[in-house]
Amino acid sequence: MKAGKSIYLFVVPGLILYLIFFIYPTISALFYSFTNWDGLSTEYDFVGVSNYVEIFTADAIFRKSLVNNIEFMLFVVIFQTLFSLVFALFLTKNSKRSVFLRALYFFPTILSSVSVAFIWSYMYDPNLGLINTVMQAINLDSLALNWIGNEDIAIYSISAVQVWFHTGQMLIIFVAGLQGIPKDLYEVAKMEGANKWQTFKKVTWPLVAPAATIVVAYTTIQSFKAFDLIFAMTRGGPNYSTEILATLIYNTAFRSYRFGYASAESVIFMIVIAIITIVQMRVLRSKAT
Amino acid sequence: MNVKHMMLAVFILMTVVLGACSSESSGESDSADGSKTISFIHWRGEDKEVFDKLIEKFEKENEGIKVDMTIYPSEQYQSTAQTLIRDGEVGDVFTSFPGSQFEIMDKAGLMTDLSGEEFVSNFNESLLEAGQKDGKQWAVPYQLVFNQPVYNKGIFEELGIEIPESWEEFLAMNETLKENGYSPMAFPGADIGPGQLMNSMMMNNATDEDIFTQLENGETKLTDEWWVKTLSQFKELADKGYFQDDSLGTKHDGAIALMAQEKAAMLGSGSYAMASIKEQNPDMELGLLAPITVPADEAVYEGIHTTTFMLAVNKNSDTKDEAKKFIEFLSQPENASTYANETGQHLTVNDVNYESEVLKNTADWMDKDTRFQPRYLINSADIEKAVIASIQSVIGGTSPEDAAAEAQKVVDQFVE
Amino acid sequence: MDRLGKRVLLIIYAAIIIIPMLTVFFSTFKTTSQMYENPIGLPESFNFSNYVQIFNETAMATYFKNSVIVTLVSVTFTLFFASLIAYAITRMNKWMGGLLFGLFTLGMMVPAQVNMIPLYSLIYRLDLTNTLSGLMIVNISVTLPVAVFILTGFMKTIPKELFEACTIDGANNWQVYRRIALPLSLPSLSATAIFLFVMHWNDLLYPLLFITKDEYKTLPLALLEFQGQYMTNFPMLFTGVMIASAPMIIAYVFLQRYFIAGMTAGSVKG
Repeated sequence: MKAGKSIYLFVVPGLILYLIFFIYPTISALFYSFTNWDGLSTEYDFVGVSNYVEIFTADAIFRKSLVNNIEFMLFVVIFQTLFSLVFALFLTKNSKRSVFLRALYFFPTILSSVSVAFIWSYMYDPNLGLINTVMQAINLDSLALNWIGNEDIAIYSISAVQVWFHTGQMLIIFVAGLQGIPKDLYEVAKMEGANKWQTFKKVTWPLVAPAATIVVAYTTIQSFKAFDLIFAMTRGGPNYSTEILATLIYNTAFRSYRFGYASAESVIFMIVIAIITIVQMRVLRSKAT
Repeated sequence: MNVKHMMLAVFILMTVVLGACSSESSGESDSADGSKTISFIHWRGEDKEVFDKLIEKFEKENEGIKVDMTIYPSEQYQSTAQTLIRDGEVGDVFTSFPGSQFEIMDKAGLMTDLSGEEFVSNFNESLLEAGQKDGKQWAVPYQLVFNQPVYNKGIFEELGIEIPESWEEFLAMNETLKENGYSPMAFPGADIGPGQLMNSMMMNNATDEDIFTQLENGETKLTDEWWVKTLSQFKELADKGYFQDDSLGTKHDGAIALMAQEKAAMLGSGSYAMASIKEQNPDMELGLLAPITVPADEAVYEGIHTTTFMLAVNKNSDTKDEAKKFIEFLSQPENASTYANETGQHLTVNDVNYESEVLKNTADWMDKDTRFQPRYLINSADIEKAVIASIQSVIGGTSPEDAAAEAQKVVDQFVE
Repeated sequence: MDRLGKRVLLIIYAAIIIIPMLTVFFSTFKTTSQMYENPIGLPESFNFSNYVQIFNETAMATYFKNSVIVTLVSVTFTLFFASLIAYAITRMNKWMGGLLFGLFTLGMMVPAQVNMIPLYSLIYRLDLTNTLSGLMIVNISVTLPVAVFILTGFMKTIPKELFEACTIDGANNWQVYRRIALPLSLPSLSATAIFLFVMHWNDLLYPLLFITKDEYKTLPLALLEFQGQYMTNFPMLFTGVMIASAPMIIAYVFLQRYFIAGMTAGSVKG
């Protein structure tokens, strides 16, 4: 049974705004990826695909940033999804305690990313910061690490902040999904003598899968775009160890003023996210059915 | 309500919203009473109060001109302000960093030629070079900073330390400080440290002021002696424990705190940090020094200076004359003195009366043999970043040769 | 045992949230050197001078008002437009729906750094710089993708038969949307609303680009300026953070009731 033609009218207001204020600027950016525009001058030349060729053949930093970005994404997607799902399962009911804890966990999300970066820069300071002060106070000096100064762990330290920042937000999506599950389904499962794991697998998961698809896809995209946090905490350093694509694109566009090249980097960035997101959705969807 | 009604309602709402804006916006610089408003934009949030004061004075002296000041944090200033300046929307008077930002602004033709203006003679001629290009004065630098370590005079006196004049002496001094329980230098390795300390570390290793131009032309490489030596000296300082622990994780404010708490004897940033240190520890006496990385008789330079906060007039401004008046006002010794003393900055303006103790103590550096900050002579931001990354890399444990080779790879990408 | 483990886990995570927040809160009553010397301890006294100073020196009330207007209007319209689109996507034929969904999902993947220059030129040409409406329009446009993405995901789980039964009863699309789609989507609508609320409230990039006049500044923009002013003064910075976040915290606590009502209303039918 199809909806009538009038269904197309529903799309109109949003689509108009979206086309004018989002798609149009994005397409102009795509156009610039084939030029050597510096972002300020009135003149530029067409350079064909040479920006793309350079990225793939000569740009070691781009490759490094891509690898960093994937590490960052994997860490964040795994832990953020896991934490938010587990906590959502614990806090599905609207009891006073759950409501309070959901609000508390949501708390960091309310802060702006610049504020979060400030807080954690202070937490992570190796000599004066809270974490290392506490570690030293309880004689765990070996755990007083150089959190954002050590090339090998800096990217994970920031990933942890990202998880801290957004778990509460994803929790809300999961709770919305879980509360959509009819109570009687659980009762049926109980009557049939299913254990917890079986109940989760047979009842909860199939119904929570749509929420999981959203959470995973959104987290992936969010972690690719985690520009503010990284920029404010490490600016991609030390020695490019926390450089991700978004910070790289920013630098190319607004430090080096190679806007055309930055646009080409963004096109590749978009393609990478699109591929990852589509693969994830396929996998999660097939798991759900 | 059916679909048509709904759509109608939406469009009415949108029209209202859009209509509201056209009445809101009145970006004209002329108001009804014939007075003109100039927009002044810069990145020095910490100078807000003194500028408010100076602007009030300016408006009183120049009736009919209003100054609308907008301050952006320096990061945002570099990314968004230039686009705004280009459209003439803001920044009738704007400021520029020397080096790559100035180059970009010049290339985009954002600045008005100030060469013939009378107020240029209020500035110290030898300090105006950073704002010149093709024989014209596009911008006038206002501040003068020394990008070299700050030290705690009290600690130095107590331990009887003389200011070192060679690399040997510099290492010996660090050892003395370390033996006496101090972190010799608080080094903000996570943010500005490498880009600041590199200047004095390399000034005598590569005495040619064109060294980075040559690097960008492919005439020299980071893997050559001058940079590998600089990197190995950085590594030596780090490996011997002359920086605080985990220096690559320390930001500037953390390093300032170490300095203020007298846990560290030196701070590896620049003269502009002195005001912040004093704020946290008002009794401390501070001085400036620079590491000499060669034997005493081979040293050419004593320190590093930067002329920055370069004032320029927007080419697309409708109020160029008023904008120039404002710069003229700032360059008058009386007003410059107010600015200098309240912000704790040295200026490029002649006849400034430095009253604050910090400024007086370090004023002798204005006559010393200092070199313009080499880092600002790197025109490509990508190369600058690679150079800085190689410093972080050696402090993190990589060998100087490998770190230099890694950075040179990035340089090669940009050398034609 | 099971319960105990659950409880311990919840408490540990709560501590991880609370401790940094408390440190920040306490530090607003300290000086910089006190904060570094004694990061965890209670402040010597609860002296509100930092707060007073901020209120005296800045036009907080104006920034606050601007933020509220921009956020409320942006959230409402984004939610409304996105729910219409999400509903349309679920009811269209598969091909058209998929195309639209793809078009919007793609929008989430565009890095903001890239279209900001062309977007700025557009807003400038339309004479929408230094207006709150310009800010709202851009906010709505750039957050539509996320909202459409989340709402479509949830609306797809509503059984098709419900829509069809209603259509057979002679209801038109608008009526189905209002009587079936919206009420059944309340949990996801409220979750999305919270999302959008946070995004719009904290948005910095667009105010930074479009607003230069003091009377149109929003809170995050003001906070940023403030950061420049107190570069190395963490207590002052944190005070600013507290002031900018406080309205969100209060709003969240108050609105929580409605969000929960929304969520339960949805689940009853599910």
